[in-house]
Amino acid sequence: MIQDKNLLDNLVLTEEADLLLDAGFINKEQRAIIRKQLPSFKIQRNILVRLAFFLLGAFLYLSICGVITLIGISGENTFFKICCYLFAGVGVLGAEYLISQKYYRHGLDDAFILGILLNIGCGIVFTTDAYDIMLIPAVIVAIVSFLTYYRYLHLLSMLVFCMACVAVLFFGMIELQYGEQVLPFVTMLVAAGFYFFTKKRISSLTKKYFYNGLLLANSFCLIVFYLSCNYLVVRELSIELLGYEMRDKEIPLWYFFYFMTFTVPIFYLYQALKTKDRIMLWISFLAIAFSIYTVRVYHSVLPIEVALTLGGLVLFAIAWFSIQKLKNKETGLTFKPDRINNSNAFLNAETLIVASSFGLKPEVKTDSPMEFGGGGFSGGGSEGSF
Amino acid sequence: MTQFEEQATKDLFDKNLITENQYQEITAYRALGIFSLNAELKLLLYFSALLFTSGIGILIYDNIDSFGHIVLLSTLLIVISGCFYYCFKNSKGFQKTETISESPFLEYIVLIANVLTCIFIGYLQFQYEAFGTHYGLATLIPTIVSFSCAYYFDNKSVLTIAITGLAAYIGLSVTPQDIFNSSNDFYDNQTLTYSAIALGVLLIVWTIYSSRINLKTHFTLVYLTFALHMISVATISNLFTDDFMWLLFTVVLGISSFYFYKVSHKQKAISLYIFMIVYAYIGFNLFLFRILDFIRPDDIWILLILLLPIYFIVSIVMFIKLIKKFNKEIA
Repeated sequence: MIQDKNLLDNLVLTEEADLLLDAGFINKEQRAIIRKQLPSFKIQRNILVRLAFFLLGAFLYLSICGVITLIGISGENTFFKICCYLFAGVGVLGAEYLISQKYYRHGLDDAFILGILLNIGCGIVFTTDAYDIMLIPAVIVAIVSFLTYYRYLHLLSMLVFCMACVAVLFFGMIELQYGEQVLPFVTMLVAAGFYFFTKKRISSLTKKYFYNGLLLANSFCLIVFYLSCNYLVVRELSIELLGYEMRDKEIPLWYFFYFMTFTVPIFYLYQALKTKDRIMLWISFLAIAFSIYTVRVYHSVLPIEVALTLGGLVLFAIAWFSIQKLKNKETGLTFKPDRINNSNAFLNAETLIVASSFGLKPEVKTDSPMEFGGGGFSGGGSEGSF
Repeated sequence: MTQFEEQATKDLFDKNLITENQYQEITAYRALGIFSLNAELKLLLYFSALLFTSGIGILIYDNIDSFGHIVLLSTLLIVISGCFYYCFKNSKGFQKTETISESPFLEYIVLIANVLTCIFIGYLQFQYEAFGTHYGLATLIPTIVSFSCAYYFDNKSVLTIAITGLAAYIGLSVTPQDIFNSSNDFYDNQTLTYSAIALGVLLIVWTIYSSRINLKTHFTLVYLTFALHMISVATISNLFTDDFMWLLFTVVLGISSFYFYKVSHKQKAISLYIFMIVYAYIGFNLFLFRILDFIRPDDIWILLILLLPIYFIVSIVMFIKLIKKFNKEIA
């Protein structure tokens, strides 16, 4: 790890100060003093700013690669064989320079570090000519992304690492005899194993700056575990990998997978509320939504409009009763907004969702009676087909 | 996580950066072990409103000929009246400043009532041509209803519906997924461009007027966001035109960028600031491209590619300076 440990410690403290300021425990002047006293990285906390810098960094990266291509193009074949590695080298140089200048979570560093991973991945695919068997590229990308995570403490690399690991498992199992048949079970076991492994590491962790990476891996395991026993995923993959021809036939052990599709999200929800784990709670929400989608794909009992209306009513009832129940509680599980940890960022997205799903469209002046002249409404799920 | 947060608070205390009183207060608060479902449950309410109104919309559209129209219309009317009854009963009435309602449901019921009203008017128009062939009216009336609801009940979501309605009235689609794709043909349709710019200016003028009479000043950011995106996208799409009109649009973009530069500082809104810079940067690059295209220097494109990294480095340095300046000025 080449990040300055002192600065990382300071970062933890300034982030805590930000939280406390939002919660109203300290005032702005105090936060300003804290920031002044504890030197920190060049960091962008606003996601939009970070995204803008990421784009600019990517442009810079691309333009440097363009210059190299311009110079090397006379080398023809040999150049094309090594160009990806050259570009990855550019990424390494850029990332090292930016880190030495104390850029961290800035957007620019993200562009260069992700550039390394992308170029190494492409380079390996071209070199090994492995267009069918992606095992070797997956292994290499997993190793490299772990290295970039560890060296630069770069969270997105951790995400790439997790995905590459799943890819390694997936392609590795396909290579084995009967691998496809046991793939869901092996994935479940591995995900569960890594889940408890990372959980244990988190609880025995002493350094805060590894916390986010481990937490990401931990949450990723939860998602992989759910997906590996989801009926829709298993069925579609079986058709893809085993070449099952099944119009009406069921996959083997279908009752098991249906059972898991429902119990896993419910269990997540229960566990999240019990252990006060917000990330697990969000994963459980998404998993429940995906489970409902899974059922609708194969057994659409109700027409879509009735399902939507009833779903809306049921959801409203659930929210209503939960709010009534939690309204007057002061401690533990409550409806009162938490001063320190809140998910208000999601609430800010509300207006955007409304604008995109209910926004009025201009009238289309055609004679066809099917055109809804007024553009009076366009329901969320209807994709403006009126 | 909590173990690290408590540790961090303690470290801040040890370094004398927070007072003992504050430290005690914070540890006491943490000891409550609060796990708030506030945002999550509100979001559930939100999705229920989305699902419900979408379902009703499709239900009515699909069964437009099969149910009795009167039955359908009256059912819808009853539901709408029920929603509005709840809203009027629970709201504090119109206030010029931001109102915070005690009931968490009010916001969502207002939204449902408003969307259902739009559906109702759309249905009337479709089935009975209540507004004759004045299709504009059928857009304008939901817009007016939405504006009234937004101002009366102080609801930002409904306000966005109202603004999209206003844009739809002049033929623009400003929903987030449409503003960047081809549904607005600014390139072939100059009138649409002028309308977009005019509407943007109108929204800006309205925010200035509102702040003068202190009317719902917290809506300003919503208006300005719409205005910024409308004006910028309309002008940038016109920077490709063949005649010399593009010079005019460059000037318009320049003026609007300058205005939003000023106003984002005043509003302390980094989202406005960032989008303003991004649009201005795109505009500037297109301007350079047009000039190069005009001069047509034949042999220097290799030189250009070699210069490109330097150009981007300079841009990055400028960006960093701009962001730093902004953060300092709003702090």
